[in-house]
Amino acid sequence: MIAPARPALNPGWILVLPFLLLVGALFIGPIFNVLWISVTDPEPGLGNYTALFTSGSLVKILWTTLRVCVICTVISVILGYCIAYAMVHAAEAKRNKMLSLLLVSFWISVLVRTFSWLMLLGRNGVVNNGLEALGIISAPIGFMRNELGVLIGMVHYMVPYAVLPILASMQSIDGRVVQASRSLGATGAQTFWRVYLPLTRAGVVAAALLVFIINLGFYVIPAVLGGGKVLMVAEYISVQVLVTLQWGTAAMLAALILFGVLALLFLMSRFMKLGTVFGGAKA
Amino acid sequence: MTALGTSGTLHLKSLTKRYGAFTAVDNVDLQIQRGEFLTLLGPSGSGKTTILMMLAGFQDITSGDILLDGRSIVQTPAEKRNFGMVFQGYALFPHMSVRENIAYPLSVRKRPKAEIDARVGEMLELVRLTDFAHRLPNEMSGGQQQRVALARALCFAPPVLLLDEPLGALDKKLRVEVQAQLKDIHQRVGTTFVYVTHDQEEALSMSDRIVILQQGRIEQLGTPSDLYQRPRTAFAASFLGKSNFLHRDGATYALRPEKIDLSPAGKGSNANLVSGTVLSVTYFGSQLKYQIAVPGMEAVEVDVDAWRGGGTMAVGADVDLSWADAAAVRLDE
Amino acid sequence: MHDKQFMRETLLEGAKAFQAGKMERRSFLALCGMAGFLAPSVLAGRAEAAAGEIVMWNWGGQSEECHTSAIGNAFTAETGMPLKFDTSGPLQGKIKEMVDSGNVTADVCDADLFDAVALGKTGHLEPIDYAVVDKTKTIDGYALEHGISIILYGYAFMYDTEAYPDGAPANWADFFDTAKFPGTRSLYKWANGSLEAALMADGVAKDALYPLDMDRALAKVKSIKDSSIYWGSGSEAQQMIVNGEVTLGMIWQNRGRSIENDTNGRFKLVMNEALAMPGAYIVPKGNPGGPDVMKFIATAQSVPAQLDLFACLGMTPTNPEAIAAMSEADQPYSITSAANMPNIALNDPTWWGENTDAAVNAFLEAIS
Repeated sequence: MIAPARPALNPGWILVLPFLLLVGALFIGPIFNVLWISVTDPEPGLGNYTALFTSGSLVKILWTTLRVCVICTVISVILGYCIAYAMVHAAEAKRNKMLSLLLVSFWISVLVRTFSWLMLLGRNGVVNNGLEALGIISAPIGFMRNELGVLIGMVHYMVPYAVLPILASMQSIDGRVVQASRSLGATGAQTFWRVYLPLTRAGVVAAALLVFIINLGFYVIPAVLGGGKVLMVAEYISVQVLVTLQWGTAAMLAALILFGVLALLFLMSRFMKLGTVFGGAKA
Repeated sequence: MTALGTSGTLHLKSLTKRYGAFTAVDNVDLQIQRGEFLTLLGPSGSGKTTILMMLAGFQDITSGDILLDGRSIVQTPAEKRNFGMVFQGYALFPHMSVRENIAYPLSVRKRPKAEIDARVGEMLELVRLTDFAHRLPNEMSGGQQQRVALARALCFAPPVLLLDEPLGALDKKLRVEVQAQLKDIHQRVGTTFVYVTHDQEEALSMSDRIVILQQGRIEQLGTPSDLYQRPRTAFAASFLGKSNFLHRDGATYALRPEKIDLSPAGKGSNANLVSGTVLSVTYFGSQLKYQIAVPGMEAVEVDVDAWRGGGTMAVGADVDLSWADAAAVRLDE
Repeated sequence: MHDKQFMRETLLEGAKAFQAGKMERRSFLALCGMAGFLAPSVLAGRAEAAAGEIVMWNWGGQSEECHTSAIGNAFTAETGMPLKFDTSGPLQGKIKEMVDSGNVTADVCDADLFDAVALGKTGHLEPIDYAVVDKTKTIDGYALEHGISIILYGYAFMYDTEAYPDGAPANWADFFDTAKFPGTRSLYKWANGSLEAALMADGVAKDALYPLDMDRALAKVKSIKDSSIYWGSGSEAQQMIVNGEVTLGMIWQNRGRSIENDTNGRFKLVMNEALAMPGAYIVPKGNPGGPDVMKFIATAQSVPAQLDLFACLGMTPTNPEAIAAMSEADQPYSITSAANMPNIALNDPTWWGENTDAAVNAFLEAIS
């Protein structure tokens, strides 16, 4: 029996090749350019990177970014989990309505959102004015123009992103598994912690990664709702590129985020197959 | 090995379940004895699974009552009923090993570790999976998964075990094998089994008693041989085994295909004798199945044991059909 | 970073704000920043420049119309060359990128005079040809080698008249005095103007600001940090004031004028100690239109062009003849009018051109 000779290259690759080259040129090329700038501007060497250890302000910006992103991720994933849970357990017509509302929120621009939050929660916003009129508070509560404001705005933006992967993982759960747990004597709480939550873990991890990575690049919300006091890395990079012309610093920070995200993905991949995280459900 | 605490006698009283205008379970009365293997048999939509889900506590009842050892349990939530349950498709916890799956009912009851280990070991032995304790469910065959599900459901020694078409996902050969194991395990643990299936062979081979359900009502209740030998309705006669129906003197009689004697025309000798022509014959190894055209009747099925010899009647041959009086069972109107 | 759709929206919103406020330039710095670093969409859609025409790189919105009517029409009539626009906002970083890439598509940028110092030093700009452009038709010291100031804008502040019925704040010292004037105040986020205001508040004479004493300025800024918020765009500055988020707000003086009008004087503009900022025309190195761009700059210096720009955008003229020709009603809102001149400070583009990076980053660290 003679095995048919396998062609060295699947002809499908030839079809894909032009696009691969395009991606290489337009995506990977600029990334290497950024890396190159980070070690050549203003002078060749690792000066931009060693500045991380000597510059208090860089550390402060990175710390702010990390802190805000982590808090936002935790809150978004918890809220997203609750929403997804409610959706999974709602009747189908209701679930579809909830899903459309969720998707509609994707189309609202960041600027509209941020200015709406100012209208709602600003010093002279609806909430503060209402509470003052009711005599509940005597001075406005500082919801906005601070880190709390940034978190409110970012969580609001990110919750839909958190819902979708969690929803997918919940929908893939066999309802009988939950019934089985109950029939075996587990209370609702035991069933949740020991069966339901572990089975949605991939969705939770995917949601957390997605939210965290998108968070790292947030610009407008921190810039506006932070009142200038919450300086995150994306805004700082932009200032370095456009205003102070410290492209080396900007490129170094961009590279740092890039490698940080890659390291995060690598770490996650050691604990679980990324395919199950982003490919959604595995029964 | 016996059930803890309760003894496992179930009494369903006028049990009814309605979904809007649709009545899924209609006024079902049923006593299930301790240690009995009782099968709920019926086609899909007959209400058998709904009854099981009401027993398990996953479905509210519309009216009626369910008594366990004389006490109503309809207000008791599923996790407090202490009924084991084996699901269609097994519903094993995919993220837990076989051992963890089986230990689950004890660990949620916060039993001491030593007790759990001992009991899980016992159960693994019962279902002969000791060597597979550390596997994950998806690393095992369907039959093995089925046994894990069984061990898990029996681990906390429930007085009653509910089984919802547990063999549905297995292939035919494996199913027969597992039926025997299941029957064996039932005899050893002494737990009351309530078993739902649409497969008449499964019902006949394992049950102490069978309840035939149709459209939410009990069609007939009895031992397998009772039901087979003396079906009371046309539905029971045709759902459990095959039947020919005779209409005589304004009544309907059920006649099993294997109870008819087939002989060449003119050779038949019995009070009950009709003549016909062979329409078809099919060889099944142990049996020959004939379709006989008889004037004034639907095509009659006749099974003849192949080992009896006597040769095969050719298609088109004229034949006589005869049967003993007792073979024709008069059905209720 | 965010998607391109969003970047476009950001710029569109900015363009609208531009229009609504009649004039605004610094806000665009922020908005274009919002569009993201190295943002390709920001650079897209520029006019392809060729010899025989002049492409002006400005901030879009109303300014396109105003530059056409105030300068473009006269320039085209005189030279036969059309005026085209690239409205993506000539931030320093983008000018540098354009020149470095070798694909220069703009002839003249509507920028800041400190940009002329910073980018001139690094060789990204053409020198101004003072044989064509008139050094005397601008404020003293604002005709530099690589750029000349055509208009002025300025940092002033506004206050809420209802918050301070007993006595109005009159200078930066009052602005920084949280005991005497309690309430939240706003400053410009990217240092410019905020540092000068802090120094004036701390007692530095307005003609002795430069070189800026950074430590002193930052200490003063930090002293009111708890009751300060910071804006990055003109529209944001305006919102903070009219929405009542602040009772004292730094603002570009031309925008302040429109707020005062729109609110019937509830919010009042204080021009005392305003900092005049020279807006400048600069020419990217290797501009496609060549030396003809100098004629365009000269046209922009003419009295009619200067007065038209003031009427259309609210930008104060730099040509002394044009300042003298302004109406009585306009005088108070012209930074360099005879009445305002003794009370204002003048920005030093050389200091900023050489120190922007350090000053902005130090300021950002201080406020964040």
